[in-house]
Amino acid sequence: MRSRRRSKSSAFFAKILQYLLVLLLVLGGSWYFYKQYISFNAEKILSESILQEKTFVARPVEVISPHYKIKAYLLEEKTAPIISFSFMFKGAGRVSDDKDQQGISGLTAAMLTEGTESLTSQDFKEKLENYAIGISFSAGLDDFTGAMVTTSEHQKQAYALLKDILIHPRFDKEDLNRTKLQLQKSFLLQKEHPQSILNLKFAEYLYKNHPYGRNPLGEWNAVSKLNRQDLLKYMQTHFAQNNLIIGVAGDITPENLENVLDDVFGSLPQSTAIDFVRNPDMDFNMPELNIDFAAGAQNISRFAAKGVSRSDKDFYPLYVANHIFGGSGLSSRLSKAAREDKGLTYSIYTYMSLADKSPLLQGEFSATKDKYAKVKEILRQEWNKFGQQGATEQEVEDAKNYLLASYNLRFASIANLSEILLYMQKEDLGLDFLQNRNNNIKNISTEQVNQVAKKYFKPQGYVSVNIGNFGQNKEK
Amino acid sequence: MARLKYIIIYGLLLCLFVLPVQARLFGAQSFMLENGLQVVVVENHKAPIIKYMIWYKASAVDEKEGKGGTAHLLEHLMFRGTSNVSGEMFDDVLKQNGVESNAFTSLDFTVYYHSLDISKLELVMALEADRMKNLQISPKNFALERDIVYQERKQVVDNNPSAPFSESYRKVLWQEHPYARSVSGTEKEIKSLTLEDVQDFYNGLYSPDNAVLILSGDIDMQTAKSLAQKYYGEIEKRPLAAKAKFPNLKQNIRAKLEMQLPQINTPRLLKTYIAPSLSLNKDEIYNLSVLSKYLGEGETSELYKDLVLEQKKALAVSSSYDYLSRSYGRFQISALPANGVSVQELEQAIDESIKKAIKNLNIDKINNVKDKMLSGLVYLQDNPFDAADTVGIMSAAGMSVNDIEKQAEYIRAVQYQDVKESANKLFLENAALTGFLKPLGEN
Repeated sequence: MRSRRRSKSSAFFAKILQYLLVLLLVLGGSWYFYKQYISFNAEKILSESILQEKTFVARPVEVISPHYKIKAYLLEEKTAPIISFSFMFKGAGRVSDDKDQQGISGLTAAMLTEGTESLTSQDFKEKLENYAIGISFSAGLDDFTGAMVTTSEHQKQAYALLKDILIHPRFDKEDLNRTKLQLQKSFLLQKEHPQSILNLKFAEYLYKNHPYGRNPLGEWNAVSKLNRQDLLKYMQTHFAQNNLIIGVAGDITPENLENVLDDVFGSLPQSTAIDFVRNPDMDFNMPELNIDFAAGAQNISRFAAKGVSRSDKDFYPLYVANHIFGGSGLSSRLSKAAREDKGLTYSIYTYMSLADKSPLLQGEFSATKDKYAKVKEILRQEWNKFGQQGATEQEVEDAKNYLLASYNLRFASIANLSEILLYMQKEDLGLDFLQNRNNNIKNISTEQVNQVAKKYFKPQGYVSVNIGNFGQNKEK
Repeated sequence: MARLKYIIIYGLLLCLFVLPVQARLFGAQSFMLENGLQVVVVENHKAPIIKYMIWYKASAVDEKEGKGGTAHLLEHLMFRGTSNVSGEMFDDVLKQNGVESNAFTSLDFTVYYHSLDISKLELVMALEADRMKNLQISPKNFALERDIVYQERKQVVDNNPSAPFSESYRKVLWQEHPYARSVSGTEKEIKSLTLEDVQDFYNGLYSPDNAVLILSGDIDMQTAKSLAQKYYGEIEKRPLAAKAKFPNLKQNIRAKLEMQLPQINTPRLLKTYIAPSLSLNKDEIYNLSVLSKYLGEGETSELYKDLVLEQKKALAVSSSYDYLSRSYGRFQISALPANGVSVQELEQAIDESIKKAIKNLNIDKINNVKDKMLSGLVYLQDNPFDAADTVGIMSAAGMSVNDIEKQAEYIRAVQYQDVKESANKLFLENAALTGFLKPLGEN
């Protein structure tokens, strides 16, 4: 009975097995068919695409002017008959403003497009518009930067105007008064939006008395007293050949550029007299600071931890780590956890900031009062988890793929190109940086990423400044 | 009348002069698929990159009454997956291939765009074509994205101290017109939106014949044609749902809106004239573009010279003219008064200054303004990503590529009498709103 039953049941099982096999084949076949022809198959689309990857290498050259030996990186690019210059006076940014003249670099930047000794402000601006020349200046935190774009057709006029500005700026009294009053308005506007108030308070809290903690507009009392002589002296002491860096892109040959460099920048003094700026003392374990802002519809939190400079050996691994943690938009860990999975915030992100004396890993999020504590807790947990466990192989692979495949997007405009060439020199990346960059990314290992994750994402290792409505718990 | 004059002048220009050779502005070309999808191609071979944009001619203005924020919520949900590709996969695939993707919703248009290496174009086209027809909205994703757009509104609109002013301003200016709406929807509207609202909007309006595809970068016409056909050719057009009805606004209205708000530290002024657009009175758009440049674009403009430099009544003044819309256009003047000058006094000064500038307009002045507008056209050939944006909105607003490429000729053809005529009509006959935003307690 038992054996009969067994033989009967074994036949039964054999039958079942047969059915199962057939079913498996059918299922497997349909799965294959589905993957191949119906569902979305990214690899298949890419491998069969009529558009394959193209080799694209931008090879800038170094140009040195014959007479004054002024150096520039140049990328000749002839898609359109236009030329872009990006240049900077290194170290001449807001951080270098005299303590009693805070805002002088910014005021100078605004005043440099207000004419020259031979051209009134209006004449000067008319010329720029008629020749379609763009000239602008900006006082950054560390450096003073300038930019010029011109059509090939009017390049001679463009060089003449730029040269004239740098040697004979007008700094007319009336223009100066007006520009100061405009700046005064900016001081008022700056304290309206909670985001802008937070930016000011954040720098103040993080850097205390170090120049990095200053208001980017300066001090109104100081700005209001500045005169023509002050601005001229600032230029004489801050703009020189030895702190000048230049990047050029567009429709110009190295031979032409050589002469332009001598002509436009040759009259600058040899060297600057910029005071040395010390490194700030940083404390990332300070308690958080809450700023009450009753009118706010959301609380905004800004946070920072120690980062690395561009030349640090940890730069690339941290670049990838940041991308995975909070730098890649909606697919970053922070966005996934707080936004995509829970709907608690519209934006949460991190980025690397590269101030010369204080590179940071920074971030920000905002959320309505009822969700704020939850997002804050998610940030804390994700930060600690990332520091302890690092990233997965897959995450590192995906991040690298993104950074490699998106590389060429930066070559869209020549203004962007000349700026890249400028920063390659500022950061000493070398003339062949553009050719090497992708290898630098490719060579990063998961292990390296996880090492820097551990080193920079320390438990609670960031300081926060927040603005909004915090109810009872005002200051921690 | 204006049109006839225009044609005559244009004809004369063509016949009598050899126009200065402005071979192309963007070099835009266009074709249409059988399903009605318009494709516009701008070739730029500087680098192996491309910007891909799809402009849906469907947005906030097409929402049902009380359902503000539908178009914007749909924009978000378009990233949450289809019946073929999950939202996560969509995002992962794009990220792994270095594609930078985003979207925005305006009153008139909803736009999805990607910047990418040219070798990844087919991937993007496959994904975009898929989400044009197969969007799948799960209740879970719907609830999540509704929470997210609520947070977005709080962050982008309500956290801005001047937001109550902007929102009231729009309502007073546009009266019953759908331009009075908030793109994000009000808090109440966002909370009342349902999955069906969004699904209906998608079903009814995301049809190939209601969209424009822009390909700007390292591509040629032939490739563009074959790829557009391959990925979009099969998508059938859907019966279009009712689109926005734009009412005729009462003209001759001169309204004022004054608000004092906390957190506002300095007064400002914003004056808007409801103006002709590409869709309404397109004959006047170049006259008014030249007018705006003449009056208030840049620091050599008439209003800046008069009010900031001469009279010193303002510290900033500028004008802008927006005609790339589905309904009316807008001509705006904004200004910051100098210390000790009231916004009322400044408004009066602006009005007088405009009158004076129009009176003084002559052939030399108009030529100077036109020269400035036309001097930098070659810059348009530089950045394929910028070109995509500009050609995109022009095409979506209904401008043919032929007209896009002829911008320079149209501007050149504008005569000072035309500008005077259009200006007088605009400032005397059109509805306008002056808004004063002031600090709390300031008279």
